[in-house]
Amino acid sequence: MSKTSYRFQKSQRTLMQQMFEAPAIGKMSPMAKILAYTLLGVWSFFVLFPIYWVVITSFKDMTTVNQGPFYIPFIDFQPTLEAWRSQFNEDPFCTVSAIGRQLWLLVYNSAVFVVSPVVALNPMEPQICKIYLAFTNSFVISIFSTGLCVLVGSMAAYALARIQYAPRFGNIMIFVLLLIIVIFATTYVGAPWWASSSVGLALFFFLLRALRGYFKMSLKNGDILFWIISQRILPPIVVVIPIYVMFQAVGMLDTHLALILLYAVANMPIVVWLMYDFFTNLPIELEESAQLDGATRLRVFWEIVLPLTRPGLAATTLLTLVLCWNEYLFAVFLATVKVQTMPIMVAAKNTGEKGILWWEMCAIIVVMIIPVIIMAILLTRFISKGVLMGAVKG
Amino acid sequence: MQGFDRQAAVRFENVEKSFGDVKVLRNFDLEVQPGEFVVLLGASGSGKTTALRILSGLEKPSGGQVYIDEENVTDVLPKYRDISMVFQSYALYPHKTVADNISFPLKVRGMAKSDMDAATLSAAKQVQIEDLLARYPRELSGGQRQRVALARAIIRQPSVFLMDEPLSNLDAKLRGHMRAQLKHMQKSMGITTIYVTHDQIEAMTLAHRVAILEKGVLQQLATPAEIYNNPANLFVAQFIGSPPMNVVHGSLNGGQFTTNGVAIQTSVTGQAVKAIMGVRPEDCSIASSTEGTLSGEIFTNELIGDHALVTVDWGNDQISVKAPKDFAGEQGDKVGVIIHRDSLFVFDESNGQRMR
Amino acid sequence: MPSNTTSRQPTFISAGVTQRNRLGEWVDRHSGTFFIAPCATLILIFAIFPTIYSIFFAVSRVRFTGDGLKFRYVGLRNFSKQFFGSSEVHFLGRTDPVSIFGYTIFVIIVVALLVWLWRSQKHTTWVGMIGRTISAAMAIFLSWILCASFLSGNAIGTLYTTLFYVIIGCTLQFVIGTGLAFLCSQPISGKNFFRVVFFIPLMITPLGVGYAMRMVADVTKGPFEPLLGFLGLSEWIWSVDAWSARFVMMVGDSWQWIPFIFICMLAALENIPGDHVEAAQVDGASSPQIFREIIWPQVLPVAATVLLIRMIEAFKIVDLPNIMTGGGPGTATESMTLQSMYIWRANDMGSSAAIAYLLLILTVVVCASFFNYVVLGQVKKAGA
Repeated sequence: MSKTSYRFQKSQRTLMQQMFEAPAIGKMSPMAKILAYTLLGVWSFFVLFPIYWVVITSFKDMTTVNQGPFYIPFIDFQPTLEAWRSQFNEDPFCTVSAIGRQLWLLVYNSAVFVVSPVVALNPMEPQICKIYLAFTNSFVISIFSTGLCVLVGSMAAYALARIQYAPRFGNIMIFVLLLIIVIFATTYVGAPWWASSSVGLALFFFLLRALRGYFKMSLKNGDILFWIISQRILPPIVVVIPIYVMFQAVGMLDTHLALILLYAVANMPIVVWLMYDFFTNLPIELEESAQLDGATRLRVFWEIVLPLTRPGLAATTLLTLVLCWNEYLFAVFLATVKVQTMPIMVAAKNTGEKGILWWEMCAIIVVMIIPVIIMAILLTRFISKGVLMGAVKG
Repeated sequence: MQGFDRQAAVRFENVEKSFGDVKVLRNFDLEVQPGEFVVLLGASGSGKTTALRILSGLEKPSGGQVYIDEENVTDVLPKYRDISMVFQSYALYPHKTVADNISFPLKVRGMAKSDMDAATLSAAKQVQIEDLLARYPRELSGGQRQRVALARAIIRQPSVFLMDEPLSNLDAKLRGHMRAQLKHMQKSMGITTIYVTHDQIEAMTLAHRVAILEKGVLQQLATPAEIYNNPANLFVAQFIGSPPMNVVHGSLNGGQFTTNGVAIQTSVTGQAVKAIMGVRPEDCSIASSTEGTLSGEIFTNELIGDHALVTVDWGNDQISVKAPKDFAGEQGDKVGVIIHRDSLFVFDESNGQRMR
Repeated sequence: MPSNTTSRQPTFISAGVTQRNRLGEWVDRHSGTFFIAPCATLILIFAIFPTIYSIFFAVSRVRFTGDGLKFRYVGLRNFSKQFFGSSEVHFLGRTDPVSIFGYTIFVIIVVALLVWLWRSQKHTTWVGMIGRTISAAMAIFLSWILCASFLSGNAIGTLYTTLFYVIIGCTLQFVIGTGLAFLCSQPISGKNFFRVVFFIPLMITPLGVGYAMRMVADVTKGPFEPLLGFLGLSEWIWSVDAWSARFVMMVGDSWQWIPFIFICMLAALENIPGDHVEAAQVDGASSPQIFREIIWPQVLPVAATVLLIRMIEAFKIVDLPNIMTGGGPGTATESMTLQSMYIWRANDMGSSAAIAYLLLILTVVVCASFFNYVVLGQVKKAGA
């Protein structure tokens, strides 16, 4: 390399360099800028256009939908509120009092379910416009399952982060074996499920005690964590049929509680994975100091650890909320009338002699996706602060 | 690779830098001679790293010009400035071997592989890591990583060498060793070097000249000896020297510095209602309370090893004195401090400037 | 200490030992169990137990009778039906006649796999060898089906439709998502706007996405109708041809899932220490060089993980094919989950569970293989 060949060529920049080379650190060359903004713009259009299409279709009526595409409201076509009205008003039950009754119904039915082993009461029938029913169902189920999921999941994640577990491999094998035997007995031999399960459980604890000390190999925290997270690989379709049968046997088929529990379990791996990462990033000295001061582990968890992970907790909660709101497969199998969630309602519009009434369907879809869009915008705030990304690296 | 033939002169001309409303560097003027080792010394936030980054081209100044060898490089991209930089974190690419890290600057210029390998080996030998060439950065110790960063910087034989606190991530013992290595290397290669640090010992030992910065303003630019013996203002006087210079509050009147009722003769003339007297601990000595220029109670007596550091209360101030190591004064004893008249400095309290 | 100084000792408030709360102590000592018990119990009841129970469905003929379910053991008949029996065409596709081209490709693949197995024998444990044999066996089976059906010009079944969505779809989504993330990591203005906008599709209910895509892709009433007319394609209906239907389905799926890749890769790209890029810039590297040498190798571990997560989710695809095409034309766009759902609606619970289990096996083997050979390989190289 000659002494001067590389130095100070840049006092005068050639045209090519001006076009293609960045003018300074932290800036882009003009060509790069054009390319970048073009590509990003194209993709933004691609992202927003379907949403836009759905929204404007909800303001169309039969003719404007069926006679070919109209693109811009007020210019191409006249927007109407007909689709919206038909969802809320044609059904005579969508009044303010009906909404109040619906809320009371939720409380009453939950109470009925709780006391059902003791007292048999008749649950109230919902009498409210379909869209409001579906919306409240989705709303209630999402909130409760998210709460349950985040609570249980973060407790488990915290335990895995701070406490060393060592379940013996042998004990686990015994459990699985007994489980298989119990199921075999119930399905093929025809024993009632409560009998075989109690026998199985009793046998399990007995064997646990009897064979204590024989098993040396144990699983570590990492294995348990892997097991929990790998539940996500399980396609829901595998478990749906047995769960259907299970719920049917207990009489819980069309209830909120069934869906709440299911959704919580479906999303628990994600919560555990994310929260585990947050908890391991907290300095342990804070908790040790609290324990020295006499706090129990529960108190440490509730008063010290959780508040410290507030942004991570909020992000995880939002993510879980969205996932519960969007859940479809379980609802299709398990929910029929009373517990219809919004996705089910949308899918139910798919039948009908006239074919799909696209404008009405779009109205419902808009109602369905507005909450998630809001939650998504909130979530991006968290993500751009880099809150969730430590987990991905792990 | 010994003895570079290119040594460039560097000049900052009235360089200013603001980030939003915050002015980080003001009216910064600096001239560096070819082959000179200049240290930018200051606390964090003083603007020293900003000045270095402006010279490297990673930041653009808000005002002023930068010259390398009389070419205006203010708008020139870093890769064309013929400079090398060692980052504080070393910035070693974790997925490349040591050899690939070192040869990266040559690789991006499309050099032939055989030439690259020869140059890599030569650079590695200069910093004594030639047997680590196949390792990855994560397998190296702090000192070894630093030497890899150094090798990567010298392989291109640049005109100017920039270093951003390269020793601050090392432990104390290693730091002293690497300091000596750096000084030796710079002397034998003779390359113009700008070095940023907050450690005054590094500045004093390594530099031909030291530029002290505080809050973006250049306080003093001089040789280490000059800075030590002839500080331009109170900040410089207190920043340099360990243990730090004593400060005593009082007032200056003609050739007399009066503090707490005691008058001390000095050659400094001038008037200042509020003045500060500065005197280094090694320029004071302990005596009995009747003999000293000042006298007070001992606050503490700390045995350093080769000397004892005695701190004496004086009004609202404290004066530290280097006493012989067998000095047996106790906390609360009354002693006197002898201050030699020629070794005291007087500063105007209102602006910290040295009064002469 | 000199005795004339009045030393003030701090007076201790006698705290004493706090009242022993025996129950509280016992709970605290077993807090490990209590913390993890709810999670473990729920997963046991709703995931492990049903999975095992499902095996019993899969090996039985299940009938609804007056008082509950009746199981009749039929062995592996539900499974063999998918491979050799009445459902073979539905599940595997047509596998005859096999063309010469198909045969040659198959032989090449088998030879390559056997060579790989042989070479890895030298540096893996016997447990590793078992894993590799399983992966190789699955790979041989899948490539036989591929060569016999698609490469020989025959129709494919739900198995390969699912794999099409997974492999081609994930690759496409990965390339586009990473490209977008790279663009967004440049010094452009409006980054936050793009971030929010690009993120939204991921969160929208898949059902809604399905209907939206169906409307947008409608060739008679949809927004592209004039464009298609202009291109001379006004007679073309995408939902009638098997491959165009699958392709449109993949586009819909990608619309929803590219944001996921985008968000994760953007975070990874932004996590590269600024120092490294600056050092490369000072050393004289151009932007493409920096990307190729510095940035890309450092995001590879994250990229592999993200791809794995996406693949795991992709195997479960069901909402979109159900809505957009109802699995049609015929069964061309049916994924395995959808096939299982339709069979369940036809009251054949045994076959439904069998397909579900086949999907589980496929997912586990493919994902575990990918994890072991690609993800772990990348992570080891980066020396985490």
